Formats: sequence, C-alpha cells, structure tokens
Amino acid sequence: MRTFWVLLKKEVKAFFVSPVAFIVLALLMVLNGFSFRAALTVLETAPSEGSIVTWTFQPLWFWLSYFFIFPLLTMRLFAEEKKLGTLETLFTAPVSTWQVVGAKFLAALIIYCILWLPGMGNFALLKWISGGVVEVPGGALKGSAVILFVMGLFNLAVGCFASSLTSNQIVAAIISFTTSLLHFLLGIFITNIGKKIPAAFADIVNYIASVEHIRTFTNGLIDTRPIVYYVSLAALFLALTHQVVEFRRWRP
Amino acid sequence: MIDVQDLTKQYAGRVAVDHISFRVEPGEIVGFLGPNGAGKSTTMRILSGFMPPTSGRAMVAGHDVFRDSLNVRRKVGYMPENAPLYTDMKVKEYLHFRGELKGLRGRDLRVRTGEAMDLCAITDVRRRLIGNLSKGYKQRVALADALIHRPPLLILDEPTNGLDPTQIRHVRELLRSLRPAHTILLSTHILSEVELTCDRVIMLHHGRIRASDTPRNLARQLRATSLVRLELQGDGRISEKLEALPGVRKVIVEKPDGAWQCYSLRVESQNDIREAILDVATASRWKIRELHRQLPTLEDVFVELAASEEGKKR
Repeated sequence: MRTFWVLLKKEVKAFFVSPVAFIVLALLMVLNGFSFRAALTVLETAPSEGSIVTWTFQPLWFWLSYFFIFPLLTMRLFAEEKKLGTLETLFTAPVSTWQVVGAKFLAALIIYCILWLPGMGNFALLKWISGGVVEVPGGALKGSAVILFVMGLFNLAVGCFASSLTSNQIVAAIISFTTSLLHFLLGIFITNIGKKIPAAFADIVNYIASVEHIRTFTNGLIDTRPIVYYVSLAALFLALTHQVVEFRRWRP
Repeated sequence: MIDVQDLTKQYAGRVAVDHISFRVEPGEIVGFLGPNGAGKSTTMRILSGFMPPTSGRAMVAGHDVFRDSLNVRRKVGYMPENAPLYTDMKVKEYLHFRGELKGLRGRDLRVRTGEAMDLCAITDVRRRLIGNLSKGYKQRVALADALIHRPPLLILDEPTNGLDPTQIRHVRELLRSLRPAHTILLSTHILSEVELTCDRVIMLHHGRIRASDTPRNLARQLRATSLVRLELQGDGRISEKLEALPGVRKVIVEKPDGAWQCYSLRVESQNDIREAILDVATASRWKIRELHRQLPTLEDVFVELAASEEGKKR
C-alpha cells in the first residue's frame, strides 16, 4: 500500500511538472466557458424544458473539449516510460504491475476530476451573480458529476491501454482518441439513421449511447445501468493494460 | 549469492542466452565480458527479475528470480544499460522517490540518499534536472539509485560506459570500496576494465560461457599468442632466420612497402622476442624501420576462443 502511495504521488506530480495539466486545464476552461455561454443563450431566447445544467452538457462545444482530454492526459503514462527505458528501472524495484497500473490510472483520474472544478464553479458563479434568480438544480448537478466521473473512468482506462501498447505518445493519443470517439459515434449513429433498423437493435445500442446518458443524468436522473456499464468497461480495459504491461513476464 | 543453472533465453526464435550455468559467491566482484550481443544484458535482466528465462533456473540470494521476483528485487540493486532515468525530475527528488520505492522511510531515507549522492559524487548537482545533466552524471545518478538501499547484490550493466578516464577510475575505486558488504556482478566489453576491478571473469560469446577464471589466468591464457610486426631491409634467408627464433609459431610475409620488407610473426607471448629479433638483425646487418608487438584485442581473443572451441569439437 505504501508503495502505491509513493507511485501515485510521483505520477500526480509528473502532471504538474510538465505543462500538460495546465494546458488541458486552460483548454477545458475556455471550451467550458463557450458551452456555458451557449447554454445561457438557449435560456435567454425562449422558455425551455431543461435547466442550465442540461444545456451546458449538450452543445457541440462540450463534446469538442471532452474528447481532447483523455488522449492528452493518458498518452504519456506508459509510452514515455517505454521510450526512456525507465520501465526497466521501475519493474526491477519491488513493485507489482497492479500497483503501477493502478497508480498511473488513479493519477490521471485525479487530474481529470480537478479539470472539471472550474466548469462546476461556473454554476456557483451564475447563482451568485443572478442573486438566485437563475435556478441551478442540485439533482442535475449531482447527476452530471456522476456521469462525467464514470465516463471519465472508461475513457481514461482506454487511454491507459492505448499508452501501454506503444512507445510513441502520438500513436497512443490517436488510438485512445479514435476508440473514445468510435464509442461515442456508435450512440449517435443510431439516432441519425433512426427508424431504418429494427427497434430491438436500436434499444440495445441506446444503452451504450453517451449522448443519452448525459441527457438523463444532467436532468437529475441517476440511472445505475450506465454506471455499471462504464465501470465494468473501465475494469476491462485496466485488466487489458495490466496484461500488456505484464507481457514481458510471460513465458513463451 | 547467485546460482544459475542451465539458463536459456530465446527471443522470437533467436537464442540470446544458451544453457549457461555459473555461481557467484558472496563478496565477489564478477565481471561479464563479451562483445555486443553476447547475452550479457539479457542474463542481467533475468537475474534482476525484469524478465523470466525461457528455461533453466536462476536463484538470487536464495530466491527464485521468476517465482519469488519481488523478494529478489528487494535484494538487488540493478543499473540497466545506458542509465534510463526520468528526465523531468531533479537528482535528489529522483533518488528520494527510488529510495521510497525500495522501502526506505523517514530518517533512513534522508541519510541513505545523502550517502549515495556522496559516494557517487553527485551531491553538487542534487538540485539540477536530470535531463540537463551530462552523460557521466546521469550514469552516476543511476549508480546511486542502484546502491541506495544497500542491496547485498549489485547488478551493473556497463557501469563505466560513457564516462571519462577520471570518472572511470572513480567508479572503479567505488566498486572496490563496496566489496565486503556487497556482491557485484558487472558487465563490460573493455578487457582492461575487468582486469582492474574483478575477482573473476565470466566470458560470454554468442550466449555461451567461453571461459570463467580469474582475470590474471584468463589474460595469460588469452594472450597465448601475440603478434610482432616487423619492417626491414636486408638480404639472406630472412624468414628462415626469423622462424628459427624461440617461441615463433608462424611467419607471415606481407606486401613489401617499396624496398622495405614486411613480416608479421605469431609468437607465444610468455617471451618477448623483440630483443632477440634485434640481435639477429644486427648480426645479419639488417636495417630495421619498425618493430612492434601487438597484444590481441578482445576481438582477436574471441575469434581465438571460438576457433579453439571448434577445434575441440572435432
């Protein structure tokens, strides 16, 4: 356990030593600002069903920023160590593969959570500025925090896996970006081609549609099915990462 | 301390280490000697628990390197080839991290970090980024990392690679000073290096052990023949006279350089025959332009070893 903390501390520190964390934070703050502004515009012009929270996590701005986070946070994790050759020094110290994979993943998760804080701060700011006139529903806020967290688990695990496959950070970034995006598009594609496919099939695909998940959760409806779905997928990808990192120890 | 039996490692069909067996006793400094690709690094990686052998068994400090890998890694200080380090960490910060990872805590950690930095003479760069250090410093940071937790066994893959002569001497003295408490296995492809540091040499070539002995015995054995080059002007039966000298095995006539005739003599190296050649030359009134004894390079040594082994097989 002690070893795990030592590794975690080092990994979290590494994010702030290099400019990565700051750049992603800046990027996300700008794009969050845009999507927040877009939500405000919707509410300004006409009466609407959703709350400010719902509208913030719908626009293109949100998805644009969303898929850039994961490759940027995770591409470094294993690829850099492979390139530098430090995987060798790391694994000749008394550490287990799970400790290393876990520490790297958790460090990325911590940074990911920190990244959303300013965005969440926007809502508090709005409430304060408007003197309580604009309502920020607490349930919707909690729901969006939960869905962002579990979707983050999944996408970060994909990123970890991508990074463990290669010693080239760019390649790792591309793999994780494409995988995350494909998963997202699978949900969109059903709503787009709509009625042409059997309803049963459409139902199944709807279970994995991130857009749907965001919509229900940001309305304050906390559904356990997507939570289970994302958490188990994250576990799967972390297990795969473990296998890849452990690969050199396999006996041929 | 190390007990290796019938160790084999194959990479995708290529045999890197081929059924080797050896033992290293506690307190010994043993050198792995061999050209690039001889299997030195592979053997060391297996011994340090980084990868498993394809077959065979290796015990380090009483633990199996594959089944009991964590315990092996606690007892080994390993320095990989080319000293891979985190370039965006500072020297002291890095050693702190490595020390903690190897189980050092609190006061112990601080004291050992200081000691390791002093031993490797890197205290003056402790606040600098590793990425900005010269090769020599990086190499010594990696060395400090290997010995920070005072492991009973140090495995060092080319520890003096990339150092300048002063630094090499310093590392050599450092290794010798560690001797009573630590067993050391190091690798190198520099023959003189081994002679000065090691109690015993294990010579690897194409994944097999070619020789294992004290450096002195090995050097004597390896330098069984040396080459003497000779350029002279004169007449009479030169080659015959040269062949008649004691200890000369073979006289090779080379292409003459103008009026100068060139010879190479393969000579048993116990006796230096240069004086004898000079005596013959004065007696026969030859003019000599060059007289030079060449000690065999490591390359020659391996060629010779390989050849002698082929001979034994037949």
